[in-house]
Amino acid sequence: MIATFFLLALMQIKVPDAAQFVGAPQGTPLTGPQLERRTMEISSELRCPVCQGLAIGDSPSQMAANMKAQVRELLERGYTEQQILSYFEKSYGQFVLLKPKFQGVNALVWILPVLALAAGFVLVVTKAKKLETAPEKVAAAPEETAEDPYLARVREMVEKQ
Amino acid sequence: MNRTVLIIGIIIVGAIVFILFAGLGKDPQHIDSPLVGRQAPPFALRAVGTGETIDLESLRGKPVIVNFWATWCGPCFEEHPTLVANARNLPNVQFVGIVFNDTDDKIMRFLAERGSAYPTLLDANGKTAIAYGVGGVPETFFINPAGKIVAKFEGPLSTETLQENLAKALR
Repeated sequence: MIATFFLLALMQIKVPDAAQFVGAPQGTPLTGPQLERRTMEISSELRCPVCQGLAIGDSPSQMAANMKAQVRELLERGYTEQQILSYFEKSYGQFVLLKPKFQGVNALVWILPVLALAAGFVLVVTKAKKLETAPEKVAAAPEETAEDPYLARVREMVEKQ
Repeated sequence: MNRTVLIIGIIIVGAIVFILFAGLGKDPQHIDSPLVGRQAPPFALRAVGTGETIDLESLRGKPVIVNFWATWCGPCFEEHPTLVANARNLPNVQFVGIVFNDTDDKIMRFLAERGSAYPTLLDANGKTAIAYGVGGVPETFFINPAGKIVAKFEGPLSTETLQENLAKALR
């Protein structure tokens, strides 16, 4: 990485840097297996902009590979997960986050399932309470049909046998 | 009870149908750029062919049109003549092409066959494209003389769409 930096400096090449968007790294530089693991974890939270709902970690596209390489480099430099997600969000907007933030219309994504669950619970409790009163009616039914002529005929045939 | 359930059901189904219907007219690849209204991310990249380094900072003082493209992109073939013609007709506007995920020889061949009127820079690792939130090519950014991005256009430009967006950079 240092060699690349000097080569780019020699060629006077300058690419936009994360520091301009999210400031200096606030974490610990990662290396080895931990770097690979965190790269995969963060890559699973970022949407590939040229795919249909795929994370950059799952996409075979070159664009996703570039983004994943950048995640890896930022972790190597000590950027935190929050800083990395914020860096990509500043370029692509909230679209790039596979887990939408709890704000604005996006908050509905989090609130609606809880509301639906609560509504379902209320419905089940209401139905269960109504069922509690239903058995009395069921028990009363045989009394009313005791004089059923068909039943009396069956009983008579059984007694004969 | 049945009437209440019916009303609730109609409301829920109606809301879902409305959301799906509203989404039908949208391009799934369209991304509203949070960069519009902000300073353009600075870059200095090597020009293909000449090897000269073009620094965005050095272009301050005149409108800049930054076009992200690639030789493997079909719509880029379509818009290239529009960009070349407008670059020749608008000497006070700086056009810059940025190519990513591509190679020098392919770019040189493309430009030799189809003409060139402005510098084409190579974004070797795609970092400039990422900083500009490029989702697919072609995408074009219109930067005013103060260095602020005033518009982003996705897809192949026509002379009308180019001039319509350029007008925002001239205000």
